[in-house]
Amino acid sequence: MQEENEHEPQLVSVTRIKCSEKTLRPTIPCILHFTEVTSVTGLEFLSQPGQEKTIRACYSLAWIIERCLPLKPDTGMEADVHNNSVPLENGNLAPVDRLRRDRSDSPTPGLVEGTEPGAGQDSAMFVHAQSFEDLTADGEQEQEEEVQVPEGGDRSERGPEVEKPRTEGEENEKMQGQPGEEEQEQEEVQSGGGRAKEEDVNSEAWRRHRKHVFVLSEAGKPIYSRYGTEEALSSTMGVMMALVSFVEAGKNVIRSIHAEGYKVVFLRKSPLVLVGVSRTRQSERELTRELLYIYYQIISLLTLTQLNHVFQIKQNYDLRRLLAGSEHLTDNLLRLLDCDPGLFLSAVTCVPLPSSLRDVVSSSLQAAKAKNLVFSILLAGSRLVTLVRKKDQYLHHMDLHLLYNLVGSSSSFREGEGWTPICLPKFNTAGFFHAHISYLEPASDLCLILISTDREDFFTLSDCKRRFLERLRRRSTYQALQEALLAPSYPVSQVGIPELRHFVYKSKSSGLYTSPEIPIPYQSEEEQERLMGLYQYLHSRMHHPTRPLRFIYHCAERENLLSWVTSGFELYLCFSPLGTKALAISAINKLLKWIRKEEDRLFILSPQTY
Amino acid sequence: MSTKKESKSGKVVPNGTSKHFLERCASTNEYFDIAFKVMLLGDSAVGKTCFLVQFKDGAFLAGSFIATVGIDFRNKVVTVDNVKVKLQIWDTAGQERFRSVTHAYYRDAQALLLLYDITSKSSFDNIRAWLTEIHEYAQKDVVIMLLGNKSDMANERVIKREEGEKLAREYGVPFMETSAKTGVNVELAFLAIAKELKHRAVQQPNEPKFQIHDYIESQKEKSSCCRYV
Repeated sequence: MQEENEHEPQLVSVTRIKCSEKTLRPTIPCILHFTEVTSVTGLEFLSQPGQEKTIRACYSLAWIIERCLPLKPDTGMEADVHNNSVPLENGNLAPVDRLRRDRSDSPTPGLVEGTEPGAGQDSAMFVHAQSFEDLTADGEQEQEEEVQVPEGGDRSERGPEVEKPRTEGEENEKMQGQPGEEEQEQEEVQSGGGRAKEEDVNSEAWRRHRKHVFVLSEAGKPIYSRYGTEEALSSTMGVMMALVSFVEAGKNVIRSIHAEGYKVVFLRKSPLVLVGVSRTRQSERELTRELLYIYYQIISLLTLTQLNHVFQIKQNYDLRRLLAGSEHLTDNLLRLLDCDPGLFLSAVTCVPLPSSLRDVVSSSLQAAKAKNLVFSILLAGSRLVTLVRKKDQYLHHMDLHLLYNLVGSSSSFREGEGWTPICLPKFNTAGFFHAHISYLEPASDLCLILISTDREDFFTLSDCKRRFLERLRRRSTYQALQEALLAPSYPVSQVGIPELRHFVYKSKSSGLYTSPEIPIPYQSEEEQERLMGLYQYLHSRMHHPTRPLRFIYHCAERENLLSWVTSGFELYLCFSPLGTKALAISAINKLLKWIRKEEDRLFILSPQTY
Repeated sequence: MSTKKESKSGKVVPNGTSKHFLERCASTNEYFDIAFKVMLLGDSAVGKTCFLVQFKDGAFLAGSFIATVGIDFRNKVVTVDNVKVKLQIWDTAGQERFRSVTHAYYRDAQALLLLYDITSKSSFDNIRAWLTEIHEYAQKDVVIMLLGNKSDMANERVIKREEGEKLAREYGVPFMETSAKTGVNVELAFLAIAKELKHRAVQQPNEPKFQIHDYIESQKEKSSCCRYV
């Protein structure tokens, strides 16, 4: 299934295209084929005999590429990679046996899923998400699982990188029932908040941004642009839609364009189209995953049901009206994607706490339950303190990241109590949950999110919060918790490996990761992003769909990195440039031992349910 | 604390509002005699959150606009004629997608502050739609007050005060222009609401009926005479 070969130029047939300098509209039929290879000059157009429009189509495509992709390529560091690839069975990293084994039964304790440091003792807290593979094994594949195959049914073999576009009928089958919350008054025009992003889209500065993200509707209407106003970009977005639709008209799907160090990635999620233009080293899959996050961010505000409904009624609906005021959520999510390892690791990190303290907090949350309460989540900043869930209901880490993003992007929850509908797209794209969001104290970092299924539950949940707080205070845990939060992380020096600067360790079975505080050389925003970029690069190499690696030692200019993935965990280490490979390898064992020793504190080992 | 509450509730005629006496302020430990729910409504970006923050903390939220998510719930206790009145204030998101949540809480509200932005014609034009919605979802005897916010932005004004007054007369609701930035009439709006609600809840037999319109007229600062800029 994953035998795609990236080097094989693929033939994409294109039909029905009319080209002018500004727009491509699928009106005048003509047939052309183009081969997608990795540079602009490599874009070849082979016209069918007797089709005179080809040249103009080439012109337009060149124009598109010039317009959309004027970004300078990153200076690559490919040459420094030393890697030690281990041949894998099936060419796949997914554990052969997906069932968790008991710690004691495991032949190599610590390396197998379920026995690694940080693995939960009871059931996992999150959807049993089989880590990275499940989520992003293939952005497109995942899309299929979600939309086309309701019960994980058989998928027919597909040709390399070629997919048939989904028909409307299939899309609709999945959408049963009415929207949970219909909002149909359309008489009011929103005045829209002022956005501090009025950038000239023709300027060099606009073109130089590292990563652009565009969201548009199938009618080609702009919905979101990371930089610049949507209005100014409407013709560019029209061109993007034209690209998508003329490839689709040939019963095909455009996935990406690679040219001169930048990548244009398309994600088609009917009724939306998402386009990322990036000059980072991220792989196409990583970029697709980021677009998927943006897509889910939009779904979390509207539900897919409502989204489909709106566009069914009016194909050229301006979705910005319904999304008004949410731009900063998307902006913030894009920032998180650049600097939070949890989002590419598909994992969540928690505040290091003595397990006894965490247990008291968990049980207090557990006791403050209500009939319709599904999840109680206590956060400190963007770290989890504890999470209590209804039996048999799992929260997906992607949904949790969207919640983080919601809480982190809004200052208004600090003072009062917030109450908002939210769709958790990995749970159910059709309906809204209702979230009660409040800080335990205005000055505190502790934010409590209570998620209920009932939109009338505000006072019930407000009371849950009061009971939780009372219980915490009565058991004098509150003070202890506040004190513990004064040091929300730990310095890497605690591990006792002098050359080690930073690391990220993810336990696959619990979906949790741990990481020390960012050390001095990486504290500036750009440096932090650079470090995360390196991790992300290693991550994408290790999870490459066709040539996955298990172990990478990477000597970069300013640091040496080592990454290792087993069926139980993923580990990324960053050493000072003076460290040696031998030293790095010996550090692994020491670090794993340290994490095992500290796992009670660093992870949530016994998640609670109501 | 309970003794105080009981003595108060003994004095006050329980005319259907007695349930309020059993409530206790959840987020602060201030005591109060009566509690009322007040809701802030109006289009996105008219200044509802700023209006509330000015009233609650006496501060102005400068900086970029951050849309409220869903509904935001805050409490403030004010004293009206020696009675402690707790206002439970619902700050709502103006965006269309939150309408359904807001609707669900309309009927609990005893007073609605409906805001428009004097520098935005569309926000004023939408007031009629808001009032239609209010009549559909809110309680019949709900106290409504129309407020033209951002009165400090005289240079960008597009809605004259007379237009606001005319609209308010048409619907028979009190009106004033406010500024969340300078604080003009902000406290007055809430106090007038609190007074009106308090009089409704605990009407003494010999006391004349509270006239919210007259009260506002006598108290309000005309924005024309207090432009400090």
